[in-house]
Amino acid sequence: MLETIKRIFLLDLLQGLWVTFKMQRTSNITTEEYPKEIPKIGERYRGAPRLNINPDNSETLCIGCDLCAKACPENLIVVGTERNKETRRLDLTYFTYDLSRCMFCGLCEDACPVDALELTQDFEMASYTREGLIWDRQMLEEGPRPTKYTR
Amino acid sequence: MATEAWEDSLSGHLHSKFAQAILKTESFRGQPFAETTPSEFHNVVVFLRDDHAFDYLCDLTALDYPKDEARFELVAILYSFTHNRRVRIKTRFPESFHPQSLSDVYLAANWLEREIFDMFGIHFAGHPNLKRILMPDDWQGFPLRKEVNILDMDQSWVQNNLGIESGQ
Amino acid sequence: MESVNHLETSEMVLNMGPQHPSTHGVLRLVLKLDGERVKAVECVIGYLHRGVEKIGENRTYTQFAPYVDRMDYISAVSNGLGYCLAVEGLIGVEAPPRAQIVRVIFAELNRIASHLLWLGTSALDLGAMTALFYCLREREEVLKIFENYCGARLTTHAFRIGGLQYELHDTFEAETRAFSEMFKKRLDEYDQLLTNNPIWIERLKGVGILTAEECKSWGVSGPMIRAAGLAWDLRKAQPYSGYDQFDFDIPTRQGADSYDRYLVRIDEMRQSLRIIDQALEKIPSGAIMAKVPKVLKPPPGEVYVSIEAPKGELGYYIVSDGSLHPYRLRVRPPSFINLASLEKMAVGALVADVVAIIGTIDIVLGEVDR
Repeated sequence: MLETIKRIFLLDLLQGLWVTFKMQRTSNITTEEYPKEIPKIGERYRGAPRLNINPDNSETLCIGCDLCAKACPENLIVVGTERNKETRRLDLTYFTYDLSRCMFCGLCEDACPVDALELTQDFEMASYTREGLIWDRQMLEEGPRPTKYTR
Repeated sequence: MATEAWEDSLSGHLHSKFAQAILKTESFRGQPFAETTPSEFHNVVVFLRDDHAFDYLCDLTALDYPKDEARFELVAILYSFTHNRRVRIKTRFPESFHPQSLSDVYLAANWLEREIFDMFGIHFAGHPNLKRILMPDDWQGFPLRKEVNILDMDQSWVQNNLGIESGQ
Repeated sequence: MESVNHLETSEMVLNMGPQHPSTHGVLRLVLKLDGERVKAVECVIGYLHRGVEKIGENRTYTQFAPYVDRMDYISAVSNGLGYCLAVEGLIGVEAPPRAQIVRVIFAELNRIASHLLWLGTSALDLGAMTALFYCLREREEVLKIFENYCGARLTTHAFRIGGLQYELHDTFEAETRAFSEMFKKRLDEYDQLLTNNPIWIERLKGVGILTAEECKSWGVSGPMIRAAGLAWDLRKAQPYSGYDQFDFDIPTRQGADSYDRYLVRIDEMRQSLRIIDQALEKIPSGAIMAKVPKVLKPPPGEVYVSIEAPKGELGYYIVSDGSLHPYRLRVRPPSFINLASLEKMAVGALVADVVAIIGTIDIVLGEVDR
């Protein structure tokens, strides 16, 4: 009997519709208005890579040890170094990072012994060309410059 | 491989039933495995299913040892719901040998054998529909054989199609 | 002169996919139809084949870890857990207790996220659009916890061989507790929305039946085999990563049809919450990383380690020859083996039911093709 009433008046369906109805409250809206509002990103987010520089003397922190390049599963980091005759240390000559092949696994960051290479919270790194995704040392130190669109 | 001997009632049953056909029964890290002659492989699996309730084929896969005469190794990982244990049955055979298909024992073997054929080029005798499953039908070669080198493939592809040196 | 003019019926071969919204990716089905009835199905897969097993042979053990996230990208944490456990088994190392419990929490959160995406999309396939929005909203909360913990939302690479790379972030407990509280209520809402919904029941009840015996023979695992009445869950049968410390049930159903698979998955989410609640109470302090050499060179040997991933039994069979790279790395993909049973279940069903059956198998093509 109860089953028949349920079937005729579609009570179960109405129960579901009531859930949908309740969701109309504006406090239930969770959509992110992305380009307008930049979303809050986790502190540990693994985004665009950055080669940190020492803020005191604006020299690179990288010691050219090549550990990041060895750790990378995709072999996309190329570190160029030169032995400095005076200080007997390795000087960084170039550093390229091919973002088009990067999967942001963070292994290079883990491998870095001096916290020079770091994956930052920047996530806007689109480029019109493949070549534009191969970042050189300057790009890595300055960070990406996404186009700012204004109305 | 630093293996230990696998000695319990099950390995005893295998030895007494198949005698010479069981080449070794060993275990590594507590996981038992037995190696059989290729011709008895099918019978051993059927025996384990029928008499010892290994009614679930977890996985069927192969390995390639190109330097050996008996080049391929076929590994069946069996599970028994009643005993809650796993056993691996292996067999080694040369490229010319066609092992008997397990698809009449476990239906799951159908796709798994097709995958092995696709990846290693092992032909299973008695398989109902042995054709490539993951690779395109007109693919040449068998990708998981050791002579296939993905670095060379990548370099030649990048050079031919993009005209640059591959960074790999 | 032929004057016979009766209506002729003939079989039709219909291609469904690879670009089809309800095949959840690039699955192509060749359906042989007699009217609306399916007479035979052939799955054509491989459109997403990336050769993960071959890549594995060319990477070191540490380097390969991010790749496993890309197989079943819906439940990357479970994939990572299975891989880490397999390599740990090979080198004979066990993760410290703290790492184990944290792994359990993340694996269970991931199970919820995976089931939510499944529920949303398969409900969408059957025309219930609302569920998708609600499910993705809740899944977002899980992904935010992942993002705050390890810095990635989907392909997390959360665990490392031997333990964890990251210590828990400060707000982790509060976030997870809040999620658990909120999600209990949400689950009841899904119940109201779908469980008794007559359209939902009509579409799923009695569709795609695969009995327990057939499940065993087809190698089917996970929620599908539990919906057929077999209380088999690797977390209970062969506990790993400290699952034996938790009190939870294995939800089962007897009907073996699509509707029961739905009920089993809903119940599993409830059980996952139970595990998460218990685990939050007893995260031990201590180290998060076991002693693992920087350059990983496992001794020659082989292991098969499997875990209960959201889709079923996910196994890794790793053979080492003592070098830096695995000699062979085989993945036992639950989706691939579960999908094979479609060729049995879909026969005799209606075309529209095929969509429902694919939905309740819960496949991810990234894992089917690897």
